[in-house]
Amino acid sequence: MAALNETIHQPVRLRIMAALVTLDAGNEVDFTYLRDLLEVTDGNLGAHLRKLEEAGYIAVNKIFVERKPHTYVSATVEGRRVFQEHVAALESILKSK
Amino acid sequence: MTEKGKPMNISPTEAEETLAAIQKISQKTRHAIASSGTFITLIATGVVWLIGFTCTQFLTGDILGYIWTGLSILGGILGTFLGFRMAPRVHNPSASATAKRAGIFWLLLILYGIATILIVRPTDGKQATMLIILFIMIGQLSMGLLVSFSSVWWALPITGLALIGYFLLPGIFYLWMAILGGGGMIAFGLYIHSRW
Repeated sequence: MAALNETIHQPVRLRIMAALVTLDAGNEVDFTYLRDLLEVTDGNLGAHLRKLEEAGYIAVNKIFVERKPHTYVSATVEGRRVFQEHVAALESILKSK
Repeated sequence: MTEKGKPMNISPTEAEETLAAIQKISQKTRHAIASSGTFITLIATGVVWLIGFTCTQFLTGDILGYIWTGLSILGGILGTFLGFRMAPRVHNPSASATAKRAGIFWLLLILYGIATILIVRPTDGKQATMLIILFIMIGQLSMGLLVSFSSVWWALPITGLALIGYFLLPGIFYLWMAILGGGGMIAFGLYIHSRW
């Protein structure tokens, strides 16, 4: 049976992962776009992204687009796998209701 | 398991709420991405087809060439503008190499299309239009299959509608393409915007 993952279960991190796994594999999303989508502050998002990056669930890519620095975030293969496991664990809890 | 190694337990109610939160943010993400460009592109293309084919049905002469040229330029500018507008938001690291190959593919497809039209020498405008639609849809399907499946399925019904109009309704072929092809794209664009 799939296990719950506490790193992902935290509400903001759960929403970050839900947004990132919705993207096509290989696609990354702009930091500010993600911030506006999730309606969180820069600091809050940055802190949770660091946690997820340390766990290996997301990748952070800093590049220059038209001479402006941009931070892009994407779910890693491992991140997608553990997120699906987390969702499966939630569904099994719901079924056992 | 928790970060400290202890099993994590939550109630079914909390699990239900969490799953609902996941579904909500997934829908919001899909909607945000779709709203950013796809629906506008579909609506813009639909409007170009709607105006262009309606004019082709009812007008004759050189003016048609000017109308289609104007509409094509407008569509190209809008597509490029939306492409740049979308680029900073959702990004694919391997996109530049893919975009270069896609550009070469479309250029070759256009050359092959022109060569085919020169060899076949269509007897009327409908044949030429149908060939152009088929080449565009082949390109769209190929791009969809190679880059993202999202654009595959809508090209198939458009091709089907075009073939039905060409073979069964030759008298109103252009009007058919305007209403069902152009109108269909507009309706699909609005559907994406409102439902995703």
